Amino acid sequence: MPRTKRDIIPYLFLIVPVIIYIVWVIAPMIYTFYLSLTNWDGLTTPEFIGFKNYIKLFDDKVFYISLTNNLKWLGAFITVPVILGLGLAMMLNTAIPGEKFFKMTFYMPMVLAMVVSGLIWGWMYHPKGGLVNTFLMSTGLVEKGPGWLSNRDIVLWSIIIVAIWRQVGYVMVLYLAGLKSINPQLLEAATVDGANGWQSFWRIILPLLTPVTVIVLVISVIDSLRAFDLVSVMTRGGPANASSVLANFMYIESFNNYKMGYGAAIAVILFMISLGFIILYLWRVMKDELEY
Amino acid sequence: MTRKSFWITLGLLTVLTMSLTACKPETVTVVETVIETVVVEKEGESIVETVVVEKEVEVETEVLVEKQIVIYNSMHGDPDPRAADEEIVKNFMEANPDIEVIHSIVAHEDFKTAIRAYLTASTPPDVLTWFAGNRARFFIDNDQIMDISDVWESEGWNESYPKGFQALSTVDGKQYFLPTSWYWWAVYYRVSIFEELGLEPPTTWEEFLAVNETLKENDYIPIAIGTKYRWTAAAWFDYLNMRINGPEFHINLMLGEESYDDARVAKVFEYWRVLLDNGYFLEDAAAYSWSEALEPMIAGEAAMYLMGDFIRDSLPDEIEADIDFFRFPIIDPSMPIGEDAPTDGYFLAANATNPDTAKLLLAYLGSVEVQTYNAEELGRLPTNSGVDRSLFTETQQKGMELIDGADFVAQFYDRDTTPEMADEGMNAFIAFWDDPDSIDTLLADLEAARQEIFAEE
Repeated sequence: MPRTKRDIIPYLFLIVPVIIYIVWVIAPMIYTFYLSLTNWDGLTTPEFIGFKNYIKLFDDKVFYISLTNNLKWLGAFITVPVILGLGLAMMLNTAIPGEKFFKMTFYMPMVLAMVVSGLIWGWMYHPKGGLVNTFLMSTGLVEKGPGWLSNRDIVLWSIIIVAIWRQVGYVMVLYLAGLKSINPQLLEAATVDGANGWQSFWRIILPLLTPVTVIVLVISVIDSLRAFDLVSVMTRGGPANASSVLANFMYIESFNNYKMGYGAAIAVILFMISLGFIILYLWRVMKDELEY
Repeated sequence: MTRKSFWITLGLLTVLTMSLTACKPETVTVVETVIETVVVEKEGESIVETVVVEKEVEVETEVLVEKQIVIYNSMHGDPDPRAADEEIVKNFMEANPDIEVIHSIVAHEDFKTAIRAYLTASTPPDVLTWFAGNRARFFIDNDQIMDISDVWESEGWNESYPKGFQALSTVDGKQYFLPTSWYWWAVYYRVSIFEELGLEPPTTWEEFLAVNETLKENDYIPIAIGTKYRWTAAAWFDYLNMRINGPEFHINLMLGEESYDDARVAKVFEYWRVLLDNGYFLEDAAAYSWSEALEPMIAGEAAMYLMGDFIRDSLPDEIEADIDFFRFPIIDPSMPIGEDAPTDGYFLAANATNPDTAKLLLAYLGSVEVQTYNAEELGRLPTNSGVDRSLFTETQQKGMELIDGADFVAQFYDRDTTPEMADEGMNAFIAFWDDPDSIDTLLADLEAARQEIFAEE
């Protein structure tokens, strides 16, 4: 008897979060899936139309532009900020003067709201009076700076740079925490055994940082899939969809064009993609737990 | 888990404290001498601030309970219109002490996003701001807008509103909409630059091109435009199409009855392309919003801007004195003249919870008094012909003449066609702007979109 009583307690504690989770996460998710099978316009009664939204979606140019842009974002996100963040963490993990100041400086962008970052960079990218082009022109390298947010070939990268600028400090902090947890004796032992800095980095530090790297990668993947704020503030997906990402595409279709059903279909696809990565991550974490 | 519960508890406590604080003035008033408090919610960028208007009235407490309410949602989010809107509501409540207006102001774009949620809510707002034309027609067809023929009748609007505005509000002989203000579109220009170069406002396409060329030769940016939000480009399409192919073709295209792969549409882009190829437009237009693109014009670097009359709201006074406007040049003299003159107004939600008080407020909003106030405060052109025309400034008179001289008045690209089609169309305009050679593909895509969008309806 006492055994069961004790077993119940965790579940009692779980009730509240589970209810909240069902109401705010699970139910809207199911409802969205249902909406994606309708032609709801936000006003009239939804009409069931089967998989028509999905068929249309897979034939939509903007969908492929957005998907490709998301993938480019993902590619940039799992490489650049991770490498830069790790580099910074390695540098700042040693006791150099002003180390706290640098850590704070690099983490600062993360504290700003995305919308604020977007606005500030929007001004910096201003074709005429912006910081970037004014600097470029003052160096005399170019006669006229590019339209960072108006040129369809570079607009996406201009936005990704902002996202990376923001992400680097975050990755750095995660790696710093990871580095602190590495037992210094291991490194000392390696030095005694004659390993140089490079070798101990590749053979000891990096492998020991694997759990952190997994988390960093997962965060990067998820952040790149839900990219929305910067795009919405800086270009709204323009010019002519050149910087559209799935989340922005979904927003425009749902709330600008009032095609709620179609927007829901985009949301479902985006969810499926994210789910794939989440399952991969959970599988990895659980495997690790069993090992230890 | 404990941490989570802690945050939940903290959150609940905060909400509780806040609601208690919010209730405080009301409980006090009930006990002693009666002070009516009216809480007006204003939604700003992200904060919701409440303004409590207090006034002393010597009445029994029971009267307070009987107080009727009306919910009014408006999109007058810019500073000047917001102040005017609040003043109007205040005056209305002073004149009708037994009515409380629950007034919320939401920014323009957010309002457009939220309106369908408002209308389908279990308690929709009673009075809402909206656009006349196709955008209102959609809601009328879906039974979301209340028939207000009785208000039109009792207020005598059938006599005091010009025929054009009556037609704009009427479907199947019943009135559903109250148009209250409108503005014109025209090419605005810096008078001093024109004088310096000895230029006259052009009336034909050839003259227009010549003006552009002279400006460019003298290192001025001939035409300012910011296409970040795309609709500024749609104005060029509207005008070129109406000038080249006539307003009738234009409006039929908007209604989905003409096709985008028509040779006449292609011709519009040929004319447009001349301006682009010659570099008459502000460079990197896609990087600017419409008001950011106004900066070079204010700085005296750009000379012209095709824009609605609200452009003057954003100009410093000393620049405003140096700004004048002219009718978009005539291209084919044999075509009737069409102009864009978007009309804004109000409607009542079909499921309004307080229809009687809502009709009172609506009657007030459509009255000569309020329209005169708006014309004076904001320079908006009134729809009620009862407003004394001698009050208008020279600029307003000129704008009204511009529209009086038009054979056809359109609303605007994204108001005349469906939101979906407008989205496709405006994207195509921007893509064309960036790569004029792609126009054939773009038009083929637009035509495919048109067939799909209008087949659904």
